[in-house]
Amino acid sequence: MNYVPGTASLIDDIDKKHLVLLRDGRTLIGYLRSIDQFANLVFHQTVERIHVGKKFGDIPRGIFIVRGENVVLLGEMDVDKPCDTILQQVSIEEILEEQRLQQQAKQETEKVKMQVLKDRGLSIPKADNLDEY
Amino acid sequence: MFRFQSLDDDCTLEEEDDGLIEEEDEIDQFNDDTFGAGAIDDDWQEEHKRLAELDERDGLGAGRGLGGGDSSPGPASAAGRLPLLGFSSGPPGQDADERSGGGDLAESLARFILDADPAIAGVGAAERQPASIPPKHQLPPGPPASGLPASSVLSYQQQQHLLRRGAAPMGQMNSHSIWDNSMGFGPVSVTPGLVTHMEDSPLMSIIKEVGLPKRPPQGRSDEGHDLSERAPPPRSSSPVIGSPPVRAVPIGTPPKHLLSLNHQHHPTAVHVRAPVQHRFPAPFPERLSPNTLLNLANSPLCRGPFPPRVGPVLSQLQRAQLLNSQVAGFPRGGPGPPLLAGGGFRPFFGGPPPPHGHRMGPLPPHGPPNHTPPIRHNTTHLHPQHRRMLTQRMQSRGGDRVRTGLDRRSRDPYSNLMSQKEKEWVTKIQMMQLQSTDPYLDDYYYQNYYEKMEKRQEKERDSSSRKEHTTKLITPQVAKVEHTYRPVQFAGSLGKLTVSSVNNPRKMIDAVVTTRSDDEEKREKQVWNKRRQVLYTVEKMYSLLLEVQDFEKRFVQTPEEDRDALMEQHKSNTEQLSNSRMDESWGLRVSDEQCVMIMSVRKGKRLVARLLPFLPAAQAAAVVMVIARNLPALAKKDKQDQALCCLVEPVSAVIQSLSSSALTDLLQELQGGEGQLAAALQNKFGVTLLFLILSEGERMQSSDPNCQLMDDNRWTELVFSVTRELLGVPSSSLAPPLFTPPNLLSLFSRYVDRQRLELLQDKLQISASSR
Repeated sequence: MNYVPGTASLIDDIDKKHLVLLRDGRTLIGYLRSIDQFANLVFHQTVERIHVGKKFGDIPRGIFIVRGENVVLLGEMDVDKPCDTILQQVSIEEILEEQRLQQQAKQETEKVKMQVLKDRGLSIPKADNLDEY
Repeated sequence: MFRFQSLDDDCTLEEEDDGLIEEEDEIDQFNDDTFGAGAIDDDWQEEHKRLAELDERDGLGAGRGLGGGDSSPGPASAAGRLPLLGFSSGPPGQDADERSGGGDLAESLARFILDADPAIAGVGAAERQPASIPPKHQLPPGPPASGLPASSVLSYQQQQHLLRRGAAPMGQMNSHSIWDNSMGFGPVSVTPGLVTHMEDSPLMSIIKEVGLPKRPPQGRSDEGHDLSERAPPPRSSSPVIGSPPVRAVPIGTPPKHLLSLNHQHHPTAVHVRAPVQHRFPAPFPERLSPNTLLNLANSPLCRGPFPPRVGPVLSQLQRAQLLNSQVAGFPRGGPGPPLLAGGGFRPFFGGPPPPHGHRMGPLPPHGPPNHTPPIRHNTTHLHPQHRRMLTQRMQSRGGDRVRTGLDRRSRDPYSNLMSQKEKEWVTKIQMMQLQSTDPYLDDYYYQNYYEKMEKRQEKERDSSSRKEHTTKLITPQVAKVEHTYRPVQFAGSLGKLTVSSVNNPRKMIDAVVTTRSDDEEKREKQVWNKRRQVLYTVEKMYSLLLEVQDFEKRFVQTPEEDRDALMEQHKSNTEQLSNSRMDESWGLRVSDEQCVMIMSVRKGKRLVARLLPFLPAAQAAAVVMVIARNLPALAKKDKQDQALCCLVEPVSAVIQSLSSSALTDLLQELQGGEGQLAAALQNKFGVTLLFLILSEGERMQSSDPNCQLMDDNRWTELVFSVTRELLGVPSSSLAPPLFTPPNLLSLFSRYVDRQRLELLQDKLQISASSR
């Protein structure tokens, strides 16, 4: 139970399975083992889950330490609920391939867009430093 | 901490010994280990020679055996070499490396670099796996032949494969490696696959290369020594003066684990202590952590990362037992290997709740440690309303959680990695952030929300007892402590301390703060405010004035329709202007002051000069009166600016429009107090003004025979006094006027006799010719 009721604390979430979305777009799933005052997280038996369309693939990663500032959201996962009702789990190679294709397609559309804009004399600079994925 | 004797001799801080500094006299760790009790002065060269010989004997065989790298020597010999290689010290490993040839090194390096991600690499490697079953054991030995840059090429899949095969060569392992090991390591109840995995781990390679951090020589008692308890070397800070006490552990480390009985064999990392064997006889593999074991056994890939069933299956007690079994000694044919044999896991855990069922007793307290006793939380910082809501909520939820929590936590061997103390520590930090000296500032919405709720509830429950609900929130107010830093000073010493630390940086500037009393400040403020006010007024009026002046121009330019609107605007503007001059209807004194103030500003003078033409006659006259009245003061203020003269033209225009009585009044004003005229005469403008007035009077007289100027004697008297004054004033102090009206002579000739007239003439240089 929360040590300090009325406040939000991650203490209650320790040793539970969590899903965390990072700023660079990665999704990690793991057991939250330890926290600190900056909400740095220690994940155990971490799995990086890549989603492409309706498919997903899990890559086991072991122990992760996530710096608190890079967390977008964090939520507890219900261990009992099955996670693949709509989504279909595939192997790692397949999902990586899918991801690569997705990235490729995205880049191509981006390229076409840039070209079209260039033809019209506009240029929208790529925001490189932002957290985007 | 430093012993002061060990500091430089020319450190002249003798006073410290008198007890001015109150830090403890801690032993300098570095010093101690080098020269003091901690130092071991055995001959390291001898030691090294001995060990090298030892390793060479085995290393030669190993080097040859693994010279082929990935080619496969007999598995037994290879297996036999494995633990030796694993336990060999850095240099011999390197020797073996060199012997096996650079090619292997390059290969394994390449693999290491390419397969950066072990997990994904494993994916590729897994495909290669089935092809090469015999070299299975060689695949791991391959990298360790090169020893140092070994990467954990093994993926979880590989490990799992290894495990499945673990049972087979197990016997060989036991017979060869462990007991033959002259290092005298304890029993290894572990598969060679695991061992090689140990070797492969980057941690291991790093350990081999770098050597472990120094451990205090405590022998076997430090098995349970917690790594987190180890203090980093003492900060080499400057001497203690003014410094904070050097903390053994840097600020910000979580509290130490307090080891309980169960955690005797704490899951620490695997240590390799090969080179300094004699000092740390701790056996290598018995420190296998359940982490590594479980990594292999419960490889996530073998059944999906998070099976919807229970998590990894070793309970805490079972884990402790496991370790016990490792420590106690190898020959436990029963529980030892079957624990770890590949298929052995499931039946083991699936099976016997009975033998351990009775041991489950101590477990339930582990499970829901937070549930059973109702916990009294510290809720004083919360609003009472909030507190009530929370308690209600907690009570309602208390029931459901009990069962599920128990299940889950009892089967998770990694639970409570974060100790209670650490949780409290984090909570304490979070609580500290809640303390506030000004709750309304820090958490305005929270306070307001609960206040509103309270009020609402009060309204709803009008009938019931009021007292219960009108509880006031008393938040713990943290006193705002002023943390002013005062540098350390020694009484009676000349100069300042030159030592500085993080808490007492050198004071570069000796700035003295001058505090002024409140009265002074108030007065100063008032003065400034007034001045600001005046300036502001001047600006406002100026802008109005400009608009009015521009009106003409605009009027011409705008078309017919807009002219009316413009006229309206113009009218209002002028009204405003005039109003602002006469805003105090009672007594001219006040506006007098304002006028003067405005006039004391350079811009104000210009403003008045430009404004005069636009003012209605009466007001203009009044303004001129004011000027005349206050001429000395104005003159004094104008010394720097010399801007009064810009007023001459408009003033003369006004004067010429004055009536005779007004003129007389004006002259009187000018003469006002004692010495006022004299002072006025010293000023150029004053003289000019006087002349203007006089000339106007003369003009009036001469032009209009029946003017009222002579009706009362005032004018005459005034002129007389003026003349007197003029004669009396020394010529040097008489300021030259801007211009001399020509009819002054005739004026004076009316009133004064010839003698005086001549004198005046000289003085004022009024010549008949200057017409």
